Amino acid sequence: MKVNVVKNVLQANDIVANKNRQTFKESQTLAINLISSPGSGKTTLLEKTIPALNPDSQSIVIVGDLQTTRDADRLSDKAYQVTQINTGLSCHLYANQIAESLGDLNFKEADFLFIENVGNLVCPGEFDLGENVKVVLLSIPEGDDKVAKYPTIFRVADLVLLTKIDLIDALDFDLQRVRDDLSKLNANVQLIEFSSHTGAGMEQWLDWLRIKQTESIGTQARFIKE
Amino acid sequence: MHELSIAMQLVEQIVAIAEENRWPRVDEVELEAGALRQVIPEMMQMAFAEATDQTLAQGALLSIRDIPAKARCNQCTLEFEPEPDNFLCPECRVADVEVLEGNQIILKTVSCEAES
Ligand SMILES: Nc1nc2c(ncn2[C@@H]2O[C@H](COP(=O)(O)OP(=O)(O)OP(=O)(O)O)[C@@H](O)[C@H]2O)c(=O)[nH]1
Ligand SMILES: [Mg+2]
Ligand SMILES: [Zn+2]
Repeated sequence: MKVNVVKNVLQANDIVANKNRQTFKESQTLAINLISSPGSGKTTLLEKTIPALNPDSQSIVIVGDLQTTRDADRLSDKAYQVTQINTGLSCHLYANQIAESLGDLNFKEADFLFIENVGNLVCPGEFDLGENVKVVLLSIPEGDDKVAKYPTIFRVADLVLLTKIDLIDALDFDLQRVRDDLSKLNANVQLIEFSSHTGAGMEQWLDWLRIKQTESIGTQARFIKE
Repeated sequence: MHELSIAMQLVEQIVAIAEENRWPRVDEVELEAGALRQVIPEMMQMAFAEATDQTLAQGALLSIRDIPAKARCNQCTLEFEPEPDNFLCPECRVADVEVLEGNQIILKTVSCEAES
């Protein structure tokens, strides 16, 4: 006996992801899925970004790592609230882990939810968390060929942050190559040259976040109004 | 290794179907995987073997059909098959598309040859 099913295998995840998206909409929170290789500077980015967004707006953070609470510990005094998810063997976060974490967080007050995904350029791209935007970090030491080597994640990115740009002179990194490779994937993706150490690109990044936050809530920016 | 996560979801679905139909086991599973989903067939087979271990679907044959990607240019509406690293419209030479096909991972059929 053969049964015709025709069912999305990831339906369970996608249903929860859509619920998360609805939740974020109701609470007027911009959910940002941060994706990159291990060590590209995600936690450092958040350490700089969250204080810079204060006091006009509130941020909360969900950090996914295979092991340890180190990233959450680093962020706990900077963010409004931080939750760490240890994924164990899983190389990415699932939508239901976000849904469960939201139960522990007072997210209704938050303007920004930063989700630091597990360091990996492949798997996190395959699982919708219900985020509003995907931000992919590529750090200069990783090399200028990564967009061509991992095209899928860069194609679905809303923004590419080229991190550790302060190291560009020390390394043989061809910026134009990255721009060319990106333009073959998605003409609409934005790129910001960024450094957590020098502050390069910080204003542009903060503006991008504020614009996306305004767009996502579909009304006037709450962080300006209050 | 997101293949393992996919396989675990898949096995949950096929075991539910087997139980519903009171099958003693599952013999074959047909899966469609879009070309843009980064599912590597060999990895998927390994993950499937692992995820079915000790379940009704242990030993089932998994066949994976690759579904080519299809995109529509937002500028000229031309439909074309993009490459994973090249979404440029052949006419406009701009990568500004709607993906029509290639993102799906679909469980098509589940079968059991045993009498039930
Ligand atoms: N030169 C330079 N180093 C940086 C910059 N940002 C981060 N780093 C360094 O890069 C290393 C890794 O930074 P993290 O912020 O921990 O990276 P991560 O992406 O959170 O790492 P995982 O969570 O383990 O994937 C640290 O030693 C940082 O000091 C930068 O802008 N410039
Ligand atoms: Mg980190
Ligand atoms: Zn075109």
